[in-house]
Amino acid sequence: MRKYVLFTCAVLVVLGLLFCHSRIVHEDTEAPDPVVQAIDTVPMLVTQVQQCAKLYTAEYRVHKIITHDDVIRLKGTVLQRDFNLKVPLGDRKIAIPMDAKLKAYIDFSQFSERNIERQGDKITILLPDPKVTMTSSKIDQKNVRQYVALTRAYFSDAELANYQQQGRAAIIADIPKLGILETAQANAAKVLVPMLKDMGYEEKNITVAFRKQYGADDILQLIRSEE
Amino acid sequence: MKVLTYIKIGIGALVVVLLIVGFFWLKNLTKNDHIDLGPDEDIDITPTQIQSIKAIGEWEFLSVSAEELVDTTRRRLLMKDELARIYYGTLRLGVDMHQVKPGWIKTSGDSITMTLPAIGLLDKDFIDEARTRPFYESGSWTAEDREILFKKAYRMMTQHCLTKENLQAAEANGQEQFRNMLQSMGYKHVMITFEK
Repeated sequence: MRKYVLFTCAVLVVLGLLFCHSRIVHEDTEAPDPVVQAIDTVPMLVTQVQQCAKLYTAEYRVHKIITHDDVIRLKGTVLQRDFNLKVPLGDRKIAIPMDAKLKAYIDFSQFSERNIERQGDKITILLPDPKVTMTSSKIDQKNVRQYVALTRAYFSDAELANYQQQGRAAIIADIPKLGILETAQANAAKVLVPMLKDMGYEEKNITVAFRKQYGADDILQLIRSEE
Repeated sequence: MKVLTYIKIGIGALVVVLLIVGFFWLKNLTKNDHIDLGPDEDIDITPTQIQSIKAIGEWEFLSVSAEELVDTTRRRLLMKDELARIYYGTLRLGVDMHQVKPGWIKTSGDSITMTLPAIGLLDKDFIDEARTRPFYESGSWTAEDREILFKKAYRMMTQHCLTKENLQAAEANGQEQFRNMLQSMGYKHVMITFEK
């Protein structure tokens, strides 16, 4: 009799543990769990306010699909020979679509008389170097796809954040290839020339100039990252 | 008999020397050996595609950088799941020069009057979600849950940063910056106003 009681208790404990560790399947079509109640408990805020005078002249919207093939690998060196073997424990794959907004701007905070040359009716404005920054990014959560083998755990929040941060860094690294500085230079004139015309200057007498034409080598110094 | 003993001692000594040499040789050969078992952490290399290019004329006078710790809790029969993330964003306050009205600049000799559009949030997309840091996670959470947290962070940042005080500070700084610029151009009497 005692054996039966112990056996029943053991079965109940195992079932309880299985229930506690059961995971919710990540699917878009999943119906909301009626038992689930989500509440906020810790709102916190830190802000930093900064005065500035930046003229944003070009906006690029870019898209990237971050992919990661997560395979367990046995790698190392034995007797000065390297090896890298795939361990058949099951794969995990994830694809994270991401959109980002890049903007180029001209910082007018140091703008002064030295940036202006006037000769009679003619005016030349020498603008500071344009800079580029990523102003926002958005993960397309609805279209995130992950495939996880039965033997592996789902991607954790920390892992997802790590891949997203790598994707963000990859977009910033691609900025020199996008030609955003050239667009920013051309668009700066589109904003400033009408303003100077309204001030009474004739279009033919207005020159908006930069220190130089910026190439891919220059842009690395002109990217502003907010990390 | 004596010779045989010497031979045995010689062979023994040789074996000992060989063992010592072999030990140090093997030690040197294996000094950099290591074996790791784990997943790759790096993402794959994929292209960055440009979706659109836009000419803009946004003049930013105040930038408000914010970080919000947003969390959610879910109660199940025997357990409590929690997810907490830190979101980062920068709200940029200023004027959109594409919204200026005809006759917004009036000049007369060394005087100039400028009427700029109302100060506002330059871009509704201000959260850098890819910078988000995980703070705590227990249980399993879906992409839909993360989207809900993002929207909460958005609401909180807007509520905390898009304040009347910040808009006034942006307007004051805008006046100051435009005054400096126009005085650099030679105007002595400068008047800057904003539409309401």
